[in-house]
Amino acid sequence: MSSSADCAISVRGLRKSYGDFEAVRGIDFEVAQGEVFGLLGPNGAGKTTTVEILEGLRSRTAGQVSVLGYDPGVQVRELKDRIGVSLQHTNLPDKMKVIEALTLFASFYTRKVDKDQLLSRLKLTDKRNEYYSRLSGGQKQRVALALALINDPQVIFLDEPTTGVDPQVRLEIHSLIQELRDAKRTILITTHYIEEAEKLCDRVAIVDEGKVIVIGTPREIQAQAQGRTRIDIECEQAIPVADLPAIVTDGKFVMAFVIAKDGRHLTMHSAQPARVIVELVKWIDQQGIGLADIHLKRPTLEDVFIELTGKTLRE
Amino acid sequence: MNAYLTQTWINLKLTYRDKVVLFFNYAFPLIFFFVFAGLYKAERGGAIVQVLTMVMTIGILGTGFFGAGIRAVQDRELGILRRFKVAPIDAGPILISSMVTGLVNYLPVALVMILLSHYLYGMPFPQRWLSLLVFISLGVVAFRAIGLIIASVVNSAQESQILIQLLYFPMLMLSGATIPISFLPDWLQIVSQFLPSTHLITSMQAILGRGETFGQNFWSAAALALTALLATFISIKLFRWEKDEKLPASAKFWIVGALTPFILLGTYQAKTHGSLAKANMLVRDQRRNRTFLIRDVRVFIGDGSVIEAGGVLVKGGKIEEIYTAATPDPKELNADVIEGTGKTLIPGLIDVHVQLASTGGLSDSAIDPAKSIPRELAAYLYSGVTAVMSVGDPLDQVTKWRAAIRNGTRLGAELFLCGPVLTTGSAPEARQMVAALKSEDVDGIQAILSNRMDPRIPRAIGEEALARRLPLMVHTGDTKDMAAALDAGANAIEPGSTQSSTRDVVPAEVWARMKQRGVVYIPMLSVLDALGALAEGKADGLLDRTLVQQVGPAGLLASTRRILAREKGRGTPLDSGMARQNLLAAWQAGVPLVTGSGAGSPLVWHGPAVHREMQLWVEAGIPAEAALRAATFEAARWLRADDRIGLIRKGREASMVLLNGNPLKDIRDSENIVAVFFKGERIERPELFAQN
Repeated sequence: MSSSADCAISVRGLRKSYGDFEAVRGIDFEVAQGEVFGLLGPNGAGKTTTVEILEGLRSRTAGQVSVLGYDPGVQVRELKDRIGVSLQHTNLPDKMKVIEALTLFASFYTRKVDKDQLLSRLKLTDKRNEYYSRLSGGQKQRVALALALINDPQVIFLDEPTTGVDPQVRLEIHSLIQELRDAKRTILITTHYIEEAEKLCDRVAIVDEGKVIVIGTPREIQAQAQGRTRIDIECEQAIPVADLPAIVTDGKFVMAFVIAKDGRHLTMHSAQPARVIVELVKWIDQQGIGLADIHLKRPTLEDVFIELTGKTLRE
Repeated sequence: MNAYLTQTWINLKLTYRDKVVLFFNYAFPLIFFFVFAGLYKAERGGAIVQVLTMVMTIGILGTGFFGAGIRAVQDRELGILRRFKVAPIDAGPILISSMVTGLVNYLPVALVMILLSHYLYGMPFPQRWLSLLVFISLGVVAFRAIGLIIASVVNSAQESQILIQLLYFPMLMLSGATIPISFLPDWLQIVSQFLPSTHLITSMQAILGRGETFGQNFWSAAALALTALLATFISIKLFRWEKDEKLPASAKFWIVGALTPFILLGTYQAKTHGSLAKANMLVRDQRRNRTFLIRDVRVFIGDGSVIEAGGVLVKGGKIEEIYTAATPDPKELNADVIEGTGKTLIPGLIDVHVQLASTGGLSDSAIDPAKSIPRELAAYLYSGVTAVMSVGDPLDQVTKWRAAIRNGTRLGAELFLCGPVLTTGSAPEARQMVAALKSEDVDGIQAILSNRMDPRIPRAIGEEALARRLPLMVHTGDTKDMAAALDAGANAIEPGSTQSSTRDVVPAEVWARMKQRGVVYIPMLSVLDALGALAEGKADGLLDRTLVQQVGPAGLLASTRRILAREKGRGTPLDSGMARQNLLAAWQAGVPLVTGSGAGSPLVWHGPAVHREMQLWVEAGIPAEAALRAATFEAARWLRADDRIGLIRKGREASMVLLNGNPLKDIRDSENIVAVFFKGERIERPELFAQN
């Protein structure tokens, strides 16, 4: 893979260490011009670190990185001038009006868009003269997006854009991102919402413990898990974990299994669900535990993630 | 550029929406202003400049440490700076706009307080308003920069609180912003010289109070500017956008780095004491500017007239008003009151012949004039003598002390000086000598002339002194020399104090010529008196006088007493009878008389001597009123300073002595000193000897 003209972001062998701790342990991916790319993974997977290196906010320990042809470790200012960023956990002064925030940030960039249009696109026109502190969580998030778009950026980084907003706002933000995709903007989203990635992203990289586990379109990734059905078993008493039968634990029939915290739910993935269920029900009966429910489900992205990492996304 | 302007504009708008900022920036300094003005009784004069500069400094410290420092840390802790981090800017716009905002917010406060000082407390408008503006601005910018560098090196809000308090409190308490520096012990005064706030307040006071210029405060300004630059530069370099980015604890030493200019300035000042001297001057100005009323007092004007029960209002170091009858309510005058019932107020006394290089005491060891001269000048002031003419002293020494007393860094009698006494040589040499002395800025010429000299020499001296507008005082040997002195153009004549010179009656035509030409006679009876007492072994009386015991250095008094006991009389007995007769004749002939004691001669003590001189005159038959007039108005006129001193008259300097009793009835009451006022300052007499 080499970075071509239509490649907006290119990351190769990226590593980042904080002292002895390695947050990013060799990440590779490319994002094409106009593509919406998702970094999916649990908290602490290294998504934010990766994105902040691309935004020029953090230095990297090793690897090659290019955004719009700039090296974020070198041409920071040129890069920042042409990208749009919405970070997690940012704030504005309480008594700053929405329009003032836009005016102020517009003054930092070479290119700038019409503020009124931007406000109306983000449904903020009637909040134009409102103090930042009086905005709801969703309105604040929309202001953050407005600031990310103030310079008409070619590449947009959205770090957990919908975390902590209500479903209504989430839908609004989703439609805005789709609008940007239609306008052929390159977007890099980090999220731990599976649905968001499935719905918005052209391609997704699943990241865990500083590494890319799998990369592809949501459909391709799901295909990797084709035939691997998810089995959920619920018992009336706690399942004796240590005594689980070999069919669950030996790794031949079951890819990964997770017992919920209450000890009564067992989740597994298997290519031969019927055989596993027969054996397991027999075993449950022998243990003298009451079987409450059995549920079978075809795989999703989250299942792929669980399958590959042995974790849930929101643990 | 646009980023800087927008940032500043929006920052300003944010400040005006923040009630806390408005309170601390505007209301808080004004509250302090009125509290301090009340505490320091600013309406009674003097203190208003101090109050104004104190409150301005408190405001500047506040805007720096709290306005800039804490605010910047808060913005980081709240994640506000994080939002700016993604934009293509460095810390420049944020830091610079913080400084500009601070300045724009602060200047109106300063202006309001200056106007209040003027309209409510009578402070004159600043003459050097541009210099003042520059200093206020430099102060705000430098302290905002210091606030920002603190914000840049701390890792949390708690750390910033600790660090700010550590810097804020010393800068508040030890700089003169709350307690005048002169109240601090010496070692703390030295510490204060390392604080930027000390230099800020001292310079602002000097500009406001003394009309100093920016140039006269250049080094303070340079240190403020340099600190502002260093702190801004380091802040930009160390700026952090996120609370998670930590700096090592050692980064805090960068603050010390930014304060380097003041460490250098402080070290320099600790050696030279230049800035402390200026601080002392400013305190002096303040004490000289108090308004007070001395009422129900007998006032001896100086020219001979007397108000039996009147009042004198002193304001701004000068005599503001003289009341010949009832005095107004002191509250209306905004004045302190000094009750004068049973007391007499006279102009400060003047002694026109003193030799500071000799002590007046007897000692086996050598005396260091660098130490004894300032002490003697203090002894004069203690004794109610507010001006003296030094004769024959080392010029470098007396010039130095004249300047120190003039600028207020040292308290003592105002010093007039002649420098070396002209004696022999040729006429051209004499001319050169007078010219050289004039270039050293002497106040008069003292010459010893004799009728046996080549007459061209005295004439040369007389002409040269006249041409250079210097009064010429001639010390004579015998009565024939007096005629020669008159021929030479002397303005004052002193008789000699040898046996031969005290034998003859001064011819009446000499007195007539002196009267006609207004040449003053300085009889110097004190010297004859002391020499006579010494010769007879009866000098203990001169040593035991209360005033002598009060002003004489203990060691010198002890060695004098020891030597007197050992020697039992020294020198040949002198009869001062003829000198007294001559004095009386001079007075009767209408010759102007002036007191010059010859202090410094054995047992003619610096300070008390002029009192003794007046007593000797009265014993010789001169009325007390004439003796007092000779020691005040006539002496001032001879010094050509009667437009400033020597009279209690509206507009003259308020240098006066308040006496118990009435010296016009009993001249010995001139030693019953209640209070000494010098250029408007009521002198703390015992502290005169505690000056270092």
